[in-house]
Amino acid sequence: MAASRVPVICRFSQFSVKPVCAASSCHILEPRTSYICNDPNHKYFGTSTGLSGKHYNPKFKRDRKLKFIKIDYPNLNDNKDVDDMTQDEIRAKMKERGIQPVRPWQEKPLFISSTSDTFEAYVPPEGDGKISVTTAAGAKQKLELLGKKGKSMMAIRELRQFEENFEANEFAEEAQQTYIDTHEALIKLDEDRLHQLVTERAYPGVVHEVKYKTLRWQFVKSLEPPRVVQVRCTNMITKENVFAQVTVRFHTQQILAVYDRFGRLQYGSEVVARDVLEYVVFEKHVANTYGTWRIHDKIIPDWLPPRSAIHRTYRKEKEEEQQEEEESAEPKSSEELQKPATEQTAAATN
Amino acid sequence: MAAIITKLPGLRTGLVWTATHRPAYQRTGNPLNLYVNLRDRLLHTTSTQQTWTPRREPTHFLKYNKKVYPPTPHGETERPAFICHQKANIKYSPDKMWYVACLVRGMKIDEAIAQLKFVNKKGAVAVQETLEEARELAVQEHCVEFPSNLWVSESFVGKGIVFRGYRRHARKRFGKVEYKHCHYFVTLEEGEPPEHYYWHRRPLTPQEMLEEWLESQRRRIIPGTL
Repeated sequence: MAASRVPVICRFSQFSVKPVCAASSCHILEPRTSYICNDPNHKYFGTSTGLSGKHYNPKFKRDRKLKFIKIDYPNLNDNKDVDDMTQDEIRAKMKERGIQPVRPWQEKPLFISSTSDTFEAYVPPEGDGKISVTTAAGAKQKLELLGKKGKSMMAIRELRQFEENFEANEFAEEAQQTYIDTHEALIKLDEDRLHQLVTERAYPGVVHEVKYKTLRWQFVKSLEPPRVVQVRCTNMITKENVFAQVTVRFHTQQILAVYDRFGRLQYGSEVVARDVLEYVVFEKHVANTYGTWRIHDKIIPDWLPPRSAIHRTYRKEKEEEQQEEEESAEPKSSEELQKPATEQTAAATN
Repeated sequence: MAAIITKLPGLRTGLVWTATHRPAYQRTGNPLNLYVNLRDRLLHTTSTQQTWTPRREPTHFLKYNKKVYPPTPHGETERPAFICHQKANIKYSPDKMWYVACLVRGMKIDEAIAQLKFVNKKGAVAVQETLEEARELAVQEHCVEFPSNLWVSESFVGKGIVFRGYRRHARKRFGKVEYKHCHYFVTLEEGEPPEHYYWHRRPLTPQEMLEEWLESQRRRIIPGTL
């Protein structure tokens, strides 16, 4: 009986066995301050020194604060980018510093050394014009080609007023050299050379996604001699200001491999040569004495089969996905209107 | 050319202005003036006061993102993609930021962000933001497909701009107060992190321990022996 009355004091108060009755022998074993730590509502704030960085006596807190001499140093973290700021914010900031607003930039860069479009773009015949003339489609194609050929002859006559020695066959060879030079300049990303070989209109398309990549390109051979398929002349603003556009057909064998920034193969192969059939538009400002023949456009027909897949996969950007969703949702909406409301909500959640 | 144009009455004043404000153009003979010449050419002299002071940020670290590596030969292991990113001028002491920067080293990106959420420090917020930005950039611009397949291969702190203030002391004395800023730099690399980020601190295998002990025994010098 006596053994059960002896309290076992544990480090944790909830585990300590307390005596059943408050007998006289109990309070001798228990510490005098036990009522404090046993009280669940007791709060104890010790004098904190050192680590917390706060003075233990908050009485003169305000006076201590006044000891610091305030300096106005700029906030380097907020409004990092001017582009993200609203007009009002920029205005407020400029007012604060007493600066006059800047005059807006009203100049618009305009290139008059090249046109902005391909005139009467050549439409390559499907199946490379190998359809039999006896079929209806074949006969129609042949007639169309004949009509276009007549127009080209007229254009060549106009072109010869400026360039007396223009010969289609000789030009095709010259164009092929320009074509090869352009690719070689593109591999080196020699911008100055590219501007000599490519018009201002084609330049963004040529250098698109080329930066920070390694290109390995080789011109193996020409499977067929290059051929001029279409010539067009157009005047801009005045009659004498003539631009000439010549479409040349290249049937060649090339090697192309594209590596990303880390030297990993993204597209193509350095070993396999592939046959390439291309229709390239060359342009010259013939009215200009110093005009040169430059690459202006590449004709991509509608019937072109899709390209082979790239080696590495990548994630589509979110904006494109959203647009696609919107587009796909639009035709659905008319059908959904006829459905009952419950089905509509189910479609939306899906 | 300039002399001819100045004869035109309308343009006279304008050109005189340029002649007085940019005299460095003519001083090409003396090589000492080369710096002055360059400086005056690069600086636009239209307005001396700018709306915003130019941000002082470290520029070198981000240049690693522009380096193009040569193609990997066929059959060799491909170089993993990596991205360098930084956050400049964080209002936090670089000394305190060091602890946060050390914490995430060698972690997977998701693990690092999850751990930082439980770090009760101001710097942890900036580090977490930087990691999230870097992960986004890796997917958008640096040929990384899966954002989770990244690990923190470098994480370190640089000292930013320090503004000095003063604090009054007794007896007309004063102390210096430093308002410090820091830069945080991070490199994310594609793939799995190494088992031991600090190779020299790895736990040794029994075989390695034995070899090390043998080596130490062989290397010792016993004095007074043959």
